[in-house]
Amino acid sequence: MNSLEHTLQQAFQLAVPEVALVGVACVLFLLGTARGVNRHLAGFIALGGLAIAAISHFTALPRVPGIETVTPLLGDKFAMFVRMAAFATGAALVLFAWNECDDRRSSDYMACLLIATAGSSLVGTANDLIFLFLALELVSIPTYVMLYLPGLQSKKGQEAVVKYFMLSVMSSAMLLFGFSYIYGLTGTTNLAAIQEILPRLVAGSESTTAIIAIVFVTAGLGFRITAFPFHFYAPDVYEGGPTGTVAFLAFVPKVSGFAALLKLFAFLGSAHAVANEFVKQAMMLFWILSAITMTAGNVMGLLQNNLKRMLAYSGVANAGYMLIGLAVMPTQAYRGIDEAVVATGPEAIMFYLLAYGAMTIGTLTVISHLHSPNRPVETVDDVAGLRETHPYSAALLGIFLLSMIGLPLTAGFAGKFLLFMSALAAPAAAPMRDLFVALAVIGAVNAAIGAYYYLRVINAMFLRTSLSAPTPRRTAGPLWVTAIICAVFTVAFGVYPLPMINLSRAAVGGL
Amino acid sequence: MLTSDLIRTLLPGLLLLPIAAGVALRFLDGQKARMAALSFAIAQLLLTIVIVAGGMFEVQDTAGLEALTNIREKRSGPVFAPRCVPGDPMTNGKQTFTTKFDVMPFSSGHPKIKAAQFFIGIDGLNIWLIGLAGVMLLPVVLLSWDTVTDRLGAYYSWLFLLQAGVTGAFLSFDLLFFYVCFELTLVPLLFLIGGWGPGPNRRDAARKLFLYTLAGGLMTLVGLAGTVLYVYDRTGELTFSIPKLAELIDVNMKRADEAGQASWQNAQMYLFLAMAFGFMVKIPLVPFHSWLPGAYSEAPPGVTVMLSALLAKMGTFGLLRICLPLAPDATLSVGMPLLGFLGAFGIVYGAMCAYMQTDFRRLVAYSSISHLGFCALAIVSFNSFGISGSVLHMVNHGLSTGAMFVLVGMLTRRYASSQIADFSGIWLKLPMLTFFMIFIALATVGLPGLNNFVSEVLMMGGLIDMRNTKVTGIVFAAVAGFGIFLSAWYTLTMIRTAFFGPLKEPQAAVGEVKDLTGRERFAIGPLALLCLLLGVMAQPVLDVMKRDSDRLAQVADDARLRVK
Repeated sequence: MNSLEHTLQQAFQLAVPEVALVGVACVLFLLGTARGVNRHLAGFIALGGLAIAAISHFTALPRVPGIETVTPLLGDKFAMFVRMAAFATGAALVLFAWNECDDRRSSDYMACLLIATAGSSLVGTANDLIFLFLALELVSIPTYVMLYLPGLQSKKGQEAVVKYFMLSVMSSAMLLFGFSYIYGLTGTTNLAAIQEILPRLVAGSESTTAIIAIVFVTAGLGFRITAFPFHFYAPDVYEGGPTGTVAFLAFVPKVSGFAALLKLFAFLGSAHAVANEFVKQAMMLFWILSAITMTAGNVMGLLQNNLKRMLAYSGVANAGYMLIGLAVMPTQAYRGIDEAVVATGPEAIMFYLLAYGAMTIGTLTVISHLHSPNRPVETVDDVAGLRETHPYSAALLGIFLLSMIGLPLTAGFAGKFLLFMSALAAPAAAPMRDLFVALAVIGAVNAAIGAYYYLRVINAMFLRTSLSAPTPRRTAGPLWVTAIICAVFTVAFGVYPLPMINLSRAAVGGL
Repeated sequence: MLTSDLIRTLLPGLLLLPIAAGVALRFLDGQKARMAALSFAIAQLLLTIVIVAGGMFEVQDTAGLEALTNIREKRSGPVFAPRCVPGDPMTNGKQTFTTKFDVMPFSSGHPKIKAAQFFIGIDGLNIWLIGLAGVMLLPVVLLSWDTVTDRLGAYYSWLFLLQAGVTGAFLSFDLLFFYVCFELTLVPLLFLIGGWGPGPNRRDAARKLFLYTLAGGLMTLVGLAGTVLYVYDRTGELTFSIPKLAELIDVNMKRADEAGQASWQNAQMYLFLAMAFGFMVKIPLVPFHSWLPGAYSEAPPGVTVMLSALLAKMGTFGLLRICLPLAPDATLSVGMPLLGFLGAFGIVYGAMCAYMQTDFRRLVAYSSISHLGFCALAIVSFNSFGISGSVLHMVNHGLSTGAMFVLVGMLTRRYASSQIADFSGIWLKLPMLTFFMIFIALATVGLPGLNNFVSEVLMMGGLIDMRNTKVTGIVFAAVAGFGIFLSAWYTLTMIRTAFFGPLKEPQAAVGEVKDLTGRERFAIGPLALLCLLLGVMAQPVLDVMKRDSDRLAQVADDARLRVK
């Protein structure tokens, strides 16, 4: 067996956990046609599928293949980090969506969730443009079904699906268009090869074409991470969509979007030596995107009365914070040899992503738990006086919201602090250093603006009395497992962030 | 050595005890919660007394510091030397004034990149504030005894968590840990004011306080991170330890050439403004004070005492602990003109507003703005008198304004009104309360023999520093002196209106109005006693902080040579 063949064979072993997930999903699809399958069975099978995937990750883990430029898959630490995040999120969302669908549709829903989980996990592994695109679509396509299945009857739900579908397809087209430019420039679809070739090209006359490629790729992925101005679907879809799917939408596309952005634009770091101007243009692009995204998200968040719309804009704002990390990512290349790394953009993004996931999914679980058709929990007024009627729900929601505000001892604070540090710690030789300081200040101002609307909810829950009949008491279901896990994550990563920071750092070390 | 070890072991207790109390009190209610809160407060007071009493000698013992004295640089030991640090690695059984409790690292194993740490200790600047925090808790619990009747367990629980946050900020020698404590006090405050405030505007007041302070705090955070990274750029050492940073800045500013100093001074200016912003909101200095009257008058009486006695001090203490040593040149070039002007303006503005108030609590609230303006002014005068005077004044103001709010709380508990105009001749009805009120009022206006006089004289001495005259030092002193006069004017007017003259009472809130009960005497008595004690024998207190305030003033003297 020659080494090329060996490498390829090993590379495809990397996808075993995802293949297992898709296999279990197929079983679920088939089961969906059988009679007598209820949502509990579907849920347990889905959890079992995730367990199998996790086990096969640990047992069938191959070594990293030797020749990066030939494999479409790469099992580096980054891929493993994204995979673990995807599987953990998948499990949390299965529990979240346990009672989301009726018995008949549940197995279909769970199957879609597993496929999307597999997709987001593959984004981290992808080492090829085509493969990356397929992985991203593997996240998007099941999402359409997941948006549609639980809310079949409501008009708002249908509007949400159509809106998401149309814009998602358009963003995929833009992404593909950008990829075609990259392929046209470099003549290869392999990411490792692109990282080598593109820096040399952007030095010459091709820099305009490369900028166009970057803009289109960012636009396509900007839809997934809800960056301004590609966020317009978010509030409507969040408001109309089923809460379990909204939790999925709030987090999983952001993970895959940022993972793809980090993978694609890692080359900017190595391009600075030959194409300083080009790198500056790209950094400026992300700088502007970050500043506008967080400001727009927070300012529009101020105007919202509906909780899920508010969370949608909060998601936009949080994407803006994370984009700080992307904007400063190339500056690390300007670091002197003796200058040690303090906080880099990518590691801050990875940390903040998980923090954001825990607090957003957590918030949505509590809202979903309280909501019932007779006594909807949709607006800020609906949670008024929650402390009196549902003290534990109120306490959990309080923790998540304080974390979103960014108060110390929560994951939200540790993440924001790392992001601000990464902006302030741009090496001395890096261009636009003052602008990054300004970006940190803009971030801080934004955090203060954002506090206003999160605090409104906290105020309503703890300090006001209920306006209408109290929400009926509900028994704690699997949903609560998700809520408690999220709360533990939120507090633990805030009080003692050390292990998580080390993991994030190791994950992005190879970029 | 033995005391040092004992205090080192006990020091985390100052934080853990209130946190444990905060958790335990959650599960109690009614009389049980009251009794438990009282026991915890007494335990906290005893612990504080042990630590302060032992710490007094530890802090004055400079034997360990002399070893660190650098003759060539003409420096007498480090700028800050936190004693009795928990987790001190100890070389040869001697304190190293550092800790090994890492919390948030920024590099794996790089020797010059240190982690953010759990770094607490005592020195001359914070020891009396820790004492103040321990002392004030007891009157607060006693005052809340009958002014709070609803959900007692939760109320006391938040109160103790607030105490933990304040104490943590005073104890902290790590920038990030300081910030954590500084910001975390907002959560208890939000719930305490919004949940138990007596007035209808309590929620707005709580929200305003939260958002103002948070916004200021975030700017401070950027300033702190910026300072840490700027020092890293210049020296190659990344650390969040305040003593280490102060040291690096002190030494490297001296060694830098002209161009290096100029660029550093330029950076310091922005960093100082960012760092000071949060503290200016917290103190508060005019024009960042608009959250204060609402918060002070809407909070439950006990919390108002905490706010005025302790939380406002976090702002002034932050200036002292962080802004001064980390941006010494900017303190002189920007801090003195800017904060000085705001402070001086605040003294007069606060006093004028206080005179115009018709409500007891708002009057004391505005008087607090006036006094704290004076305190901030003395801090930025940046010399030995100013620093020791302002630390002493923080304690004195905490005691006297705290006591004033305790008395106002006792008065408003008895009557259904807090309008000054509704009262007259209360002396006839409540002689003992009136006695204490006059006593505390005299302390507040700076009567010789009572506590505020000493610190005001010291601060005034700091302001009349001829080296600072080019930034109108003498004018500031004149304004401050005028402010003291104004404070006598509005305080004595209030006393005359409400307590002298023919008897006129508003409607009683609870049955028959009686004079101070035993519990209330126990709440106010010790405070009044301490006011007297600090007035007649302040020298021991000043001796304890002498080494640390002198050393900080030395930093200022070096900076004065650089700032043209």
